[in-house]
Amino acid sequence: MSIVIDTLLALLTIYLALQCLLAPRLPQTVFMFFAFGLALALAWVRLGAVDVAITEAAVASGFLGVLFLDALQDFSLSASPKRRGADKDSATQPEKQGWTSYLPGVALGVGLGLFLLIALEATWKMPEGGGLTAAAEAQLPHSGVEHPVTAVLLNFRAYDTWLELGVILLGLLAIYAVGGVKLYPRHNNVANDPVLQQIMWFFTPVLFLFGAFLLYIGKSGPGGAFQAGVLWGSIGILLHLGGKLVFSVIPRWVGQVLLTVGLSFFLFLGFFFLARGAAVFEYPPAYAGLLILIVETLAAISIATTLTAIFATLNQENKKEVN
Amino acid sequence: METYQIYSLTSAVLFVIGLGGVFVSKHFIKKIIATTIMGGGVFLAFVSFADRDALSFADPVPHALVITGIVVAVASASFALALARRIFQLSGDESFSSDK
Repeated sequence: MSIVIDTLLALLTIYLALQCLLAPRLPQTVFMFFAFGLALALAWVRLGAVDVAITEAAVASGFLGVLFLDALQDFSLSASPKRRGADKDSATQPEKQGWTSYLPGVALGVGLGLFLLIALEATWKMPEGGGLTAAAEAQLPHSGVEHPVTAVLLNFRAYDTWLELGVILLGLLAIYAVGGVKLYPRHNNVANDPVLQQIMWFFTPVLFLFGAFLLYIGKSGPGGAFQAGVLWGSIGILLHLGGKLVFSVIPRWVGQVLLTVGLSFFLFLGFFFLARGAAVFEYPPAYAGLLILIVETLAAISIATTLTAIFATLNQENKKEVN
Repeated sequence: METYQIYSLTSAVLFVIGLGGVFVSKHFIKKIIATTIMGGGVFLAFVSFADRDALSFADPVPHALVITGIVVAVASASFALALARRIFQLSGDESFSSDK
């Protein structure tokens, strides 16, 4: 029975990916992308990776989809792009192209087909390695938490998670560098939409509590800093959409502190133990649980602020350039 | 045919779909979405092999790698989106080709 469910889910995912790329209009592509992300999250639940499923549904499907939806108001709504003022040039295109114009398409098709066969064979014949499950299981009691994925993320491979916080911050800085640092206007001309205001007032405390719950439950079940950070970031995005521009009411240095507190405390913690003679990020097992909780809370705050800042900066892009 | 084998095969198909989409799509947003689909395929391969190596729980190290990978992919995709919107704002181009 589970074979049937898994096969149908796999076929659904492939179908949604194909429809995503073949959609003739851009809004269809974006909505198919939402559906594809959620189908992929279901596939991960089937594979027993609930942490990954929450992260995919929240970040890769939810947040990225919101960014694409926001970008829709910039681009023209058809997916066949046309440059403004180039219509008269297309009439002078030569009509007969011959068979050589099909060569790139045929080459691409043949290349992709061969690559598909190679990839299918490689995934079918993946050699058995045993994985690191036994090692993780042996070290889990010393890690300070009870959930193995949280233990790997925040204790065994804490170095990678610290660098990941740096990458998110670097992405925000790169987005700032693309369009220049925006000064957010004090009053946005958003309509006084009663439904939007009600949604905002209702969901802000719900999202906050749910994020705090996910943060704390990461110790013994699926959850953790990233999932909580994304939920808190969605509070910021919702407030921004409702007209309450978060970054224009707090002083600038507060925003900068919130952005960097996760990365810097994590950095201080890791190298504090190096200074004491142990290895980098080697927590003493007695305090490991408490340290992980503090690091996760600060990391979640930083992730939330960074995601809100990314959305706020991209949302400002389509306002008129003031020279 | 076990559970993880079904998903590892679809991960290969998803990767090829994404790769084809990067080459074939003309619009910037579709290219970015195609790279995200490629990333989804790779992560699905990781997690399906983590499920194969499960004892009492699934192998947590690939799960942690995939969570990190998802967040990094989202950061780079949002940067690519910012670049695409800036290009559109400055020149009105929605794709790399200048004809049609």
